[in-house]
Amino acid sequence: MATLIAAVQTNQPDSILSRKQTKGMTQSGSKKMGKGVLLCLTLASLMHPAWANGKTLVLLDNVNIRDTHSIFFRSLADRGFDLSFKTADDPSLSLIKYGQFLYDHLIIFAPSVEDFGGNINVETITSFIDGGGNVLVAANSDIGDPLRELGSECGIEFDEEKTAVIDHHNFDVSDPGEHTLIVADPENLLKAPTIVGTPTNKPILFKGVGMVADPENPLVLDILTGSSTSYSFFPDRPISQYPHAVGKNTLLIAGLQARNNARVVFSGSMHFFSDAFFNSAVQKATPGSQRYEQTGNMELAEALSSWVFKEAGVLRVGAVTHRKVGETTPPTAYTIADLVEYSVVIEMLSEGRWVPFNGNDIQLEFVRIDPFVRTYLRKNGGKYSVQFTLPDVYGVFQFKVDYNRLGYTHLYSSTQVSVRPLEHTQYERFIPTAYPYYASVFSMMAGLFVFSIVFLHMKEKEKSD
Amino acid sequence: MAQTSLLRVFLFSLALGAQALTPSHYLSLSDVARLQTFLGQHFTDLESAYYSIVGLAKLGASVADQAEACQFLKAQLDPTSVDSLFYAAVASQALAGCEIPLSNETRDILLAAVSEDSTVAQIHHAVGALTSLGLPLASQEVVAALRARINKEENVVAVILALQTAARLSQQAELSGFVEEIEDLTARLDDLGGLYLQFEEGLEATADFVVAAYALSDHVDVEPPLKEEQVIQLVNSIFSKKSWDSMSEAFSVAGAALALASNRFHVPVVVRAEGPATVSHSQPTLQLLVTNVLSQPLESASVLVESASALATKSIILSQTPFTLRDGLFELNFMSSQPASGYYQFIVTVTGDSRLVANQVELKVKVSTEVAITNMDLSIVDKDQSIGTKTTRVEYPSKSKDSFTADSHQNFAMAFQLVDVNTGVELTPHQTFVRLLNQKTGQEVVFVAEPDSKNLYKFELDMAERKSEFDSMSGTYSLHLMVGDATLENPILWNVADVVLKFLDEEAPAVIQPKTLYIPKPEIQHLFREPEKKPPTVVSNAFTALILSPFLLLLILWIKLGANISNFSMSPSAVLFHIGHAAMLGLMYVYWTHLNMFQTLKYLAIIGSFTFLAGNRMLAQKAVKRIAAEQSSRLAKYRSLR
Repeated sequence: MATLIAAVQTNQPDSILSRKQTKGMTQSGSKKMGKGVLLCLTLASLMHPAWANGKTLVLLDNVNIRDTHSIFFRSLADRGFDLSFKTADDPSLSLIKYGQFLYDHLIIFAPSVEDFGGNINVETITSFIDGGGNVLVAANSDIGDPLRELGSECGIEFDEEKTAVIDHHNFDVSDPGEHTLIVADPENLLKAPTIVGTPTNKPILFKGVGMVADPENPLVLDILTGSSTSYSFFPDRPISQYPHAVGKNTLLIAGLQARNNARVVFSGSMHFFSDAFFNSAVQKATPGSQRYEQTGNMELAEALSSWVFKEAGVLRVGAVTHRKVGETTPPTAYTIADLVEYSVVIEMLSEGRWVPFNGNDIQLEFVRIDPFVRTYLRKNGGKYSVQFTLPDVYGVFQFKVDYNRLGYTHLYSSTQVSVRPLEHTQYERFIPTAYPYYASVFSMMAGLFVFSIVFLHMKEKEKSD
Repeated sequence: MAQTSLLRVFLFSLALGAQALTPSHYLSLSDVARLQTFLGQHFTDLESAYYSIVGLAKLGASVADQAEACQFLKAQLDPTSVDSLFYAAVASQALAGCEIPLSNETRDILLAAVSEDSTVAQIHHAVGALTSLGLPLASQEVVAALRARINKEENVVAVILALQTAARLSQQAELSGFVEEIEDLTARLDDLGGLYLQFEEGLEATADFVVAAYALSDHVDVEPPLKEEQVIQLVNSIFSKKSWDSMSEAFSVAGAALALASNRFHVPVVVRAEGPATVSHSQPTLQLLVTNVLSQPLESASVLVESASALATKSIILSQTPFTLRDGLFELNFMSSQPASGYYQFIVTVTGDSRLVANQVELKVKVSTEVAITNMDLSIVDKDQSIGTKTTRVEYPSKSKDSFTADSHQNFAMAFQLVDVNTGVELTPHQTFVRLLNQKTGQEVVFVAEPDSKNLYKFELDMAERKSEFDSMSGTYSLHLMVGDATLENPILWNVADVVLKFLDEEAPAVIQPKTLYIPKPEIQHLFREPEKKPPTVVSNAFTALILSPFLLLLILWIKLGANISNFSMSPSAVLFHIGHAAMLGLMYVYWTHLNMFQTLKYLAIIGSFTFLAGNRMLAQKAVKRIAAEQSSRLAKYRSLR
């Protein structure tokens, strides 16, 4: 995890980045190449997320998984992911070549892998995540060491090999006998529609290994937890020690959005994504429980995959403007206690297109080391804006929008402005208390004027009189 | 129910996967139904019509409207195309009373296609069409043409097609060479983890290979050179895919299913329990389904338990016992041999047909029972034993009426026994957890209760030691007992009592809630500095008046003294000098209110120089005047003196 936390990156808003790039390219490019080519390049770089969801490497235990999990893979392919299937021990595997990532996303459906082939190992996967790559990992009770290590790197501790999540109260009627085919209530899902999709009442089938989250890692998301009666242990051995995970601490599906916005999802169950679980009916074995014709697995798997592969919950900052109320352009420096209007365009990726984002809890901070003002931005047409009075403290400040919400990428925008004290003409000129001073000055000035006239033009009387 | 059975099959396969190689994937009844629906979808061209009609026929079904299908075939038939003739001819055979019109040209086209110049696919289609239409053909020529083509094309798909073609030829022709090809192809199959065997060309090629191999073997009546485990691995890989991408893939799977269910040499057996493989006192019989890969029951078979042994102790409690057949299910009353609850390993043999493959199966059977909680005692024990303990007995499933209060000098203790309802034996289930649920915060703390040597469960909560697990949160906790085991039919979640736990109020640890990362932060309003309190204006006004008074006094005294400006002459320089002087004073005021120093200096320079000039001129005039006046007065004096 240390590496992830170390990789703290401030997300430069896309538009700003691309604008900079465009500018840079225009300067160097206008000399070297035609403008048309340039425009195409710029457009292509801007539109990139709109038409391709990116190259995805799928690592499998064996090729047959492609057939047993065909619905999930087909749904990914239909959504525009370019999937390349490889067995996890393929000696030609490679994620990074000449310092470039060959893929945008990585799916590891190879729970039992003991050693990845080629030049992939836990370190390269970790650096893939540090470099912004997204990873979907599915494990099961045959979990091998590499996946366990990868989990610990991301703040998730898998239980031992051969253990399974057991729940004697919430298992499916078709459970083969060990109460490991668990019916997870949708209430145990994380309350974040961007991650888990629109809420349904369909239970979720799960069979696999349990996880617990590292309590010191605040970035781990408990996407799906077991019920209070669940626990994780060897199904065929008596409980001789405290189980790795008990009750609601048992994570069935966990997620992580690193500080660089790379997303990782760990599922303790690979069967969770299988055609068989997608199409199955589900009913708890307790008498009188309701039967559902279909599990919620397919919806959840699709929502999870679109979250982890950045189809959902991706925000960017557009144009940022700030000015004094009543003016059209920002001044070189604001004066303390100015009434200022700040506005920002925030967009969300939806079905490959950037659309205005709807959020009512976006906050603006006015920061000089510490925030002096923190206020909510109101949606106003296509942008968010707010008017506020600058604090009566001068210095170098930043307008800062730091929007970090569950399921969304971390949105960060900061604009630096300076705030200076009042000029001497901007102070209050006539303080009632100081009237004696003013009066003394004016009376002296008037006296000087009158005296100069009288002194210059007085006609003295004849001394002789 | 259909979907559940699909899932059960899947899980069943998972459970069996690790053991001796048995078919872990096959077509359950719901899979067959889905395959039929998939094949029965509306067809748009001749090829899909062929897949649909023939594929359904292989599953023992037929298209909805045979006459319409026949019409469709006739309408779409292109009598000059070999492929079209093949699809129509073979499909029409599967339909009742559907004759494809024939002409001599058609026949010539088909016969001409059988040559070394055609591809294997074309030869296959031509031969298929000829045999389906009942036309004669020279088998030996076909053999020669195929052999030549195989040597040229050398790929798996071509060889498989050649095998299928060979299966349609006369038995008199030299087909032994093709039988050898089966062995060569087998060697080219990829083994995936010892569980699957498939061609890298994909599922369709694998399934077609099975169809071709068994069709040819049946045709020449020679056992195909496939080992038993290879057959099972092929079954696994063909039937593991449950959603098919194309009509041709589904068609091949249907063909392979039929070939594996009804050939003369190998019939893989699928043995599985009807429902969960569980027996109990209420449900004492173990029911087995013995089917082929299409889930059709093999009723002629006889099923025998070779041995049944407890998994934990390995002791054999049943051997060589036959199952009885009832309504297509093989049944055995296992409870009659008085098994203790737990898991049992069954080795089941299916006999009755020499073709059966994978006829010895290992099954894991569960014997389940019901549990009861007895002798539940709750007590608060003082650590220094100064106060006698008070024990309260609680009966399941009611909640204790007493409330318990424990502080850090006390231990909370709980003791109980778990017994089998049916036999009265003490049980030690897998899950015996004690949960304490904070009624206010919803925080739960779970402990494991462990049995002593007499299987008496004791749980003691040391308040001082365990306070960190409770985050030292005092409050009312609901005490739950969770008992569960895979072999228990009645898992228990019992709210035994409410317990008030009192921890020492040390520092209440502020745990960082991870979720606070994602919620809005509190708003901050900047607190502006309060303006300082000003003295009353009355004072300042009074002093203002006081300060203005000297100026007034000056004016008054001047008037009294007779100050005047009679010397003022309306010369422009005088007027301009005084205007300039006033403007400079005015500028000082404007400087104070509006301008900065640089602006002021600029204006001052203008006004100042102008005033300087005007003043200079005025003073010069004044001086001239005065000197003139003095001279005249001196002159007057001088005259008067003279």
